[in-house]
Amino acid sequence: MNENRFASAFLVPGAVWMLLLFVAPLVFILALSFGYTDDLGEAIYSTRLDNYERLVDPAYVPVLLRSVGFALAAVVICLLIGYPVAYYIAIFGGRWKNVLIALVVLPFFVNYLIRTYAWIALLGDDGMVNGVLDTSVRFLNTPYAVIGGLVYGFLAFMILPIYAALDRMDPSLIEAGKDLYGGPWQTFRHVTLPHTMQGVLAGSLLVFLPAVGDFVAASLLGGPEEVMVGNLIQQQFQASDNWPFGAALTVATMAFLLIFMLFYLRSAAREAREATA
Amino acid sequence: MSTVESRPTAPARPPAGADAEGAPLKPPKAFDRPRFLKFFMGVFFLFLFVPIALVVLFSFNSSRSLQDFQGFSTRWYQTFFETESLRDSLVASLQIALVTMVIATILGTMLAYGLVRARTRVSSSLNVLMLLPLVTPEIVAGASALLLFTQVKLDLSLTTIILAHITFSISYVTVVVRARLVALSREVEEASMDLGATRWQTFRLVTLPALWPAVLAAGLLVFALSFDDFVLSFFTTGESPQPLPVRIWAEIRFGVRPTINAIGTFMLVISVVSIGLALLLPRLFGKRESGLKVLLGREGA
Repeated sequence: MNENRFASAFLVPGAVWMLLLFVAPLVFILALSFGYTDDLGEAIYSTRLDNYERLVDPAYVPVLLRSVGFALAAVVICLLIGYPVAYYIAIFGGRWKNVLIALVVLPFFVNYLIRTYAWIALLGDDGMVNGVLDTSVRFLNTPYAVIGGLVYGFLAFMILPIYAALDRMDPSLIEAGKDLYGGPWQTFRHVTLPHTMQGVLAGSLLVFLPAVGDFVAASLLGGPEEVMVGNLIQQQFQASDNWPFGAALTVATMAFLLIFMLFYLRSAAREAREATA
Repeated sequence: MSTVESRPTAPARPPAGADAEGAPLKPPKAFDRPRFLKFFMGVFFLFLFVPIALVVLFSFNSSRSLQDFQGFSTRWYQTFFETESLRDSLVASLQIALVTMVIATILGTMLAYGLVRARTRVSSSLNVLMLLPLVTPEIVAGASALLLFTQVKLDLSLTTIILAHITFSISYVTVVVRARLVALSREVEEASMDLGATRWQTFRLVTLPALWPAVLAAGLLVFALSFDDFVLSFFTTGESPQPLPVRIWAEIRFGVRPTINAIGTFMLVISVVSIGLALLLPRLFGKRESGLKVLLGREGA
């Protein structure tokens, strides 16, 4: 048997699985988004555009914009926190590098709900911070709480790619920058940052994509004014049982994010090709 | 997880010998290390660990209070293990994670081998399709999986959760195993064939043993991710038993009881043990490489 046919056979089970359980459901969602619910609340497939017209309803537009806004804010904050952390570990970590990066990753294997809940206990109206300071500051049910929750939830996705990019960078490049009389800031701007741009981009996308669709942070840390698109989708599918509208929301989210996903995947696939070539 | 970021376009490190001539690459001197950065790291780690430390601490609180610690006790763990429905949820979560781990690891490893070794017309589109679940928001995945299961009249149960979990775990395994496969020298396989082994024997006796560290590490990663997953489970779960994260959600939404700290701490231990094993495994195989690199799919990078 030639190698190509032998190896191709290995592709079959995984490819079939992906088609049946990943592609097919998305096709169903797309089809249902043109449907409606009848008087009995049953979802009916159709070819109507009502659900998409509802998306531009003044009641929903702010929610969609807010989701993108919160996610962008989370990306920026993750970048501001994550870059220095990755930089410190990659450049000054020495033999503690692996330990430090493991410590960064560790909290992200604590259940996301538990981590979010911990912030409720800390910042709630009668939470620990208010208790210790003897104040009654309202932290929760604000946009800051939700954005903070997203940052705490997805920060590792920012740090790891930047760390990887910094780690791969030849340290003598920084030395060279200094030898050429570049100040620390100039060296960073003209040498370090351009060399790690791919990491920054990858990290930003890896935070942005899950943050846009998140509903946990907004549900637990936000109030009615902080509803995100993820909450809307979840309500349509679980509480109010309007699946066709939920499907339209899902399609809209996915379509918007697909541009970013493909951008990200193109570079990842190119990398894979280069590696196998 | 950032399993798939891009390779550098930066020039490769100079070979080790090159250092001998030029100035040796000495680590930056102490005064190169900005103080504020050190301080920043301290604050960062506090921010990262204080909330989690509090959950662990209060899981041992002897009083019902979630605010002040009044003494050490294990009563919340007792409540956790003595409540039948919670115990069922724990068992359900473990079952889901185990089955997901086994099936996703097998499918993902096969997919990685096919993607690296086969040259077919669909290879490049499969490469993208295989990565897509990694960047798809979970809510999209959860909603569409729920729709599929109701369309094909599959009752929501542990099975539907497992099906959804496997779909999103295959990609992780493929990325991790593929990186090791790419780093593997092809000559060894060719030598085995020259010595008269069949393709299958070569795969089983030469390729697979070399892949083991990555395969096992990927499996443990999948176990931890599946065990912790909330969104997919939330959309595809049946009435009972529900996996632990779904129970935690209900607890947080409808009145927190101190048991939640014990559940959270217990889940933390299980996740950390499986990830710790995944990080250490490559070393147990006598490889002098970082388990982290294996897990990030960056072997040989």
